[in-house]
Amino acid sequence: MPVNYSPPPKSTPKVIVAVTLAAAAGIPFLFLGLVLLLTPVLKPATIDGLLSNAGIDPSWRTPAYVAALFVLALLMMNYGAIFSGVITWWERRVAGRIQSRIGPNRAGFGGFFIFIADAVKMLLKEDLVPADADALLFRAAPYFVVTGFALTFVVLPFGHSLVVTDLNVGVFYVTSVTALVVVGILISGWASNSKWALFGGVRAAAQVISYEIPAGVSIFVPIAMAGTLSMQGIIRAQGGLPWEWFVFRNPAALIAFFVLFTSQLAEANRTPFDLPEAESELVAGYLSEYSGFRFALFFLVEWGNIWVLSAIVTTLFLGGWQIPFVSAEYIDGLRGAGVLPSLAWWGWNAVSMAVFTAKTIALCNLVIWLRWTLPRVRVDQMMGLCWKYLVPAAFACFVFTLFWELAVSVAPRIELVSGVGFTVIAVVLAVLFARRVHQNIQAVQGEKIDLSNW
Amino acid sequence: MEQLIGNNLASVAGFRPELVLTFGSIALLVLDLVLRRSRSRRALLAGAAVIVLGLAAVLLAAQSTASTPLFNGMIASDAFATFFKWIFLAAGFLTVLIVAQGDDYPSPRVGEFYGLLLAVVLGMFLMASATNLLTIYMSIELVSMVSYVLAGFRKSDRKAAEASLKYVIYGSVASGVMLFGMSYLYGLLGTFDVLAFAPKIAELSATTGAAGAATKLALVVAVVFVSSGVGYKIASVPWHMWCPDVYEGAPTPFTAFLSVGPKAAGFALALRFFLGSFAGPMGANGMAESIAGIPWPAVIGVLSAVTMTLGNLTAIAQTNLKRLLAYSSIAHAGYTLMGLATLSALGMQGVMIYMLIYLVMNLGAFLVVIVVAEATGSESIFDYSGLVHRHPLAAIAFGIFLFSLTGLPPFAGFTGKWYLFYAVIERASGPAGFWYGALAVVGALNTAVSLYYYARIIRAMFLEAPHVTDRVAPKLGYQLMLGAFSAAILVFGIWWAPIVEWSQRSMVMLRG
Amino acid sequence: MPRKIVIWVVLAALVVTFVGVLGARMAEGAVLPEIILGPLGLTDALFYLFAAMTFAGAATVALSKNILHSALGLLAALMGTGSLYVFLSADFLAVTQLLVYIGGVLVLILFAVMLTNRITEVKISNASLGLVGGGALLVATVPVLVFVAIATPWATIVPAELAPTTREIGNAFLTRWLLPFELASLVLLATLIGAVVIARKELKQDEPDTSVS
Repeated sequence: MPVNYSPPPKSTPKVIVAVTLAAAAGIPFLFLGLVLLLTPVLKPATIDGLLSNAGIDPSWRTPAYVAALFVLALLMMNYGAIFSGVITWWERRVAGRIQSRIGPNRAGFGGFFIFIADAVKMLLKEDLVPADADALLFRAAPYFVVTGFALTFVVLPFGHSLVVTDLNVGVFYVTSVTALVVVGILISGWASNSKWALFGGVRAAAQVISYEIPAGVSIFVPIAMAGTLSMQGIIRAQGGLPWEWFVFRNPAALIAFFVLFTSQLAEANRTPFDLPEAESELVAGYLSEYSGFRFALFFLVEWGNIWVLSAIVTTLFLGGWQIPFVSAEYIDGLRGAGVLPSLAWWGWNAVSMAVFTAKTIALCNLVIWLRWTLPRVRVDQMMGLCWKYLVPAAFACFVFTLFWELAVSVAPRIELVSGVGFTVIAVVLAVLFARRVHQNIQAVQGEKIDLSNW
Repeated sequence: MEQLIGNNLASVAGFRPELVLTFGSIALLVLDLVLRRSRSRRALLAGAAVIVLGLAAVLLAAQSTASTPLFNGMIASDAFATFFKWIFLAAGFLTVLIVAQGDDYPSPRVGEFYGLLLAVVLGMFLMASATNLLTIYMSIELVSMVSYVLAGFRKSDRKAAEASLKYVIYGSVASGVMLFGMSYLYGLLGTFDVLAFAPKIAELSATTGAAGAATKLALVVAVVFVSSGVGYKIASVPWHMWCPDVYEGAPTPFTAFLSVGPKAAGFALALRFFLGSFAGPMGANGMAESIAGIPWPAVIGVLSAVTMTLGNLTAIAQTNLKRLLAYSSIAHAGYTLMGLATLSALGMQGVMIYMLIYLVMNLGAFLVVIVVAEATGSESIFDYSGLVHRHPLAAIAFGIFLFSLTGLPPFAGFTGKWYLFYAVIERASGPAGFWYGALAVVGALNTAVSLYYYARIIRAMFLEAPHVTDRVAPKLGYQLMLGAFSAAILVFGIWWAPIVEWSQRSMVMLRG
Repeated sequence: MPRKIVIWVVLAALVVTFVGVLGARMAEGAVLPEIILGPLGLTDALFYLFAAMTFAGAATVALSKNILHSALGLLAALMGTGSLYVFLSADFLAVTQLLVYIGGVLVLILFAVMLTNRITEVKISNASLGLVGGGALLVATVPVLVFVAIATPWATIVPAELAPTTREIGNAFLTRWLLPFELASLVLLATLIGAVVIARKELKQDEPDTSVS
């Protein structure tokens, strides 16, 4: 039967544009707003205060805590899911631009609703289990992956006080719970009883185990600089201005930043390290045999991890939510003595959230650019990069940082010198990059830059 | 905290030989890479290993033997530890000499062997001086982990691979059981410090009723479990199963090392652990009593009897020399355990003397096995027929070693056995004397049994006609070593005063 | 099959009798530690949940016939143990347990299993082997251990408040426990070198090593 292909309408109806824009703006704002409102309130101390204010018997405290935990879990998992949905759309649009094609443009204005369409489509598909697969493990594997992904949101900060819980072993916790994703991938690869899936699983295991080492060691650098493992503590040890970020404050931290970013890309199986699901060799790697809902879960994690890795890097190296010229202690002081914080406190929290989100989304964008710019590396290159370059570099950075911290304790000024110096270099590079991009666009499109085909 | 750091810094002065071994081990691995293409790498690497051991020996000799706790009570530096450290250095040194001449470890790999061997020597140093449950466990693991690798060094050799795997599995189970026992000890006594055990045990056992009974039972369980780790190192029943396979499969020079080094380290650890924490101080008559009546000497005594009987009876049926020597070494662990069971100064001295003499005679026996295996390619007893016609020196030396292992005068083995048996008989007149008497009788019967299978080899070598008549011409170095070992055995069989005096001086152990 | 069941039942009965007899004999007039039964709090419920998870996981490791299921059981057991550390307010230890055992050991086990050809066709469980010998050992040891565990007045400390432990652990490693800490790193280094020695390519005798470029 011939496919009935109809060309896209010349101009989108105004209603659809309005609905799309409303959704595109509303969905993120809804979720970020909920995070802003709920994470500071649903804390044991605040709940206690609210309960006693309302005159409710203290025996309701435990049920209230449990309910608060469930609400937060629901919020965070949905945040992750919605974010990964939106970013699939964004990735496809960027890919379209980079490859000189249009990309999704049907469902809603600019194809924004494609992630909803995809989700609905996948939910309606049959949940297939291959005949010779290990049914139990095959079904269980996606849950491991999702659990490992969702657990990281427990400590990922969103703003000054906007975090589910600030564990004092936060960074360490993130590194360890992500291991569940690997277990899930390995199990899915094995349980599918398919050679493509098995190869994908084995590749994933080799890759993640290897890159965990440079990632783990390069994380020591900000830990050593901040003197704490807590995510919020590490952010508080930095500042709002670029030369107060860890990435520029120490030459080794700059290298560690790139080591960590690269290793996180590899751990999240993002191109150029997407060998476990190299479609030209392995069909779809470990998820070859999956369909429907379970397939959707894998992809949810795949794209959600972009947020996780960007947020981790932002937290550890790029100053997190620190607002320029406003110290974290100043915001602390605004809280007031009441059960609920003051309005100014909420305001600054919202600003800090905006700062953090902007940095994170900029990094997410970088991840997407990398995917559509770099070719996939070979297995031996991937292993060589890790063991021959990243691991020694990470160890060297760690050792250098220890000496650097000693030097800083003697002469605190070197931190500022390094910070300002690297910031200037980074700004110059950014300007050069922007000019180059501008020139390239001009070379193709002439003086007038046309964005109408967006 | 400053005090703790200060103690750590001050302890380095008493830790120099260990530091030399640590850095020497790493340096050898680096040197191995540097000398990768050198023509004379075998000689250079062996020389480097000897230099490291020699440096450690010089520093050990220069070190005071006064009893001091080091590193906040993690290890002890005392005359007792020093005595055993000399045994370990000698074992390491002789093994290096044997390996340097043989071809059991191929040239590209020999540097790694020396480096790892030094790590084992370091682990044994720490085993002899550990006074904390953590250091005890860590040092045992250091020795075990590296031994697994060195036993399975020749990957292409199926027997070596099997030996290594068996060693790993038995070793892991034994150390797991030991850790479980240690967790009991920590749970009961609330401390890792072995030297602080004795008063706490005495205090605990004062509780009466069921709690007291349960405490005592828990202590016995803990002791039995902890002794599994030690028993595994010294290859005593029922933790001996790895021994024959590993001895047979591992490269012979390492087997020789394994049979004397880690065994002595295990005994050093056992002496310090049991006498230091589960026994009261020695009285004027040189005898100590078990704290709170925990029947660990009985447990050790039974183990001793079973170990020597099983080792000797099984050795009778062996035709592979390495297996035979393996069972013989199990039996010797049994004899030596008698010294531990007596819980007296004489028993302790007996163990020390025996381990020193056993080092010479067992290394010598294995050296003969290496010499013959290099010439004939066989470790079977049938190829020892008429060895005296093919290589008189090896045959005569082997004869000396075997008689010494049996414990016949005038060989040095007699001295060692005499002290062990004397310690048991000294106990036979005291409380529970019947059992000590029985132990002595079992030991004597076992010596008779062992004479049977040692004599079988001697008969083959001296009385049977050789299957092949070509003469074996071993390397000069081997000949010198055989001669030196034999001479040492003969000398110390007649003139044992220096050994006895040295061990007498070295019986000072750090106590809490 | 029925014979197996009979043996198991007999063993269980023996264990129970031994525990009872031994306990009664040795605990005459004993004051067993009081088990305080109060309302089941959230913490208690979570504790029992994680304890059950640990136990079930461990049982799966031992009893499952499929090695991958055993590995998953190990995952549950290790995670349960890690969670139990949280109840002892050992946060750093709990996360380290997760990182080392799940992120490292378990993934490597799975990796090794997948690289091994036809490993799942081998029956790895020994549930039906050595039933008599194993049972005898069980009867001999379990009652003793149970009795010891219940009746011994263990040296206990009051559980600390949930406070950060990372700094204390770091200080302890570098002061009081310096030697065991360094010794542990030495053990690991030696093991690492040993593993490389075992794993790398076998060379021919006296041929210069050119495998490393």
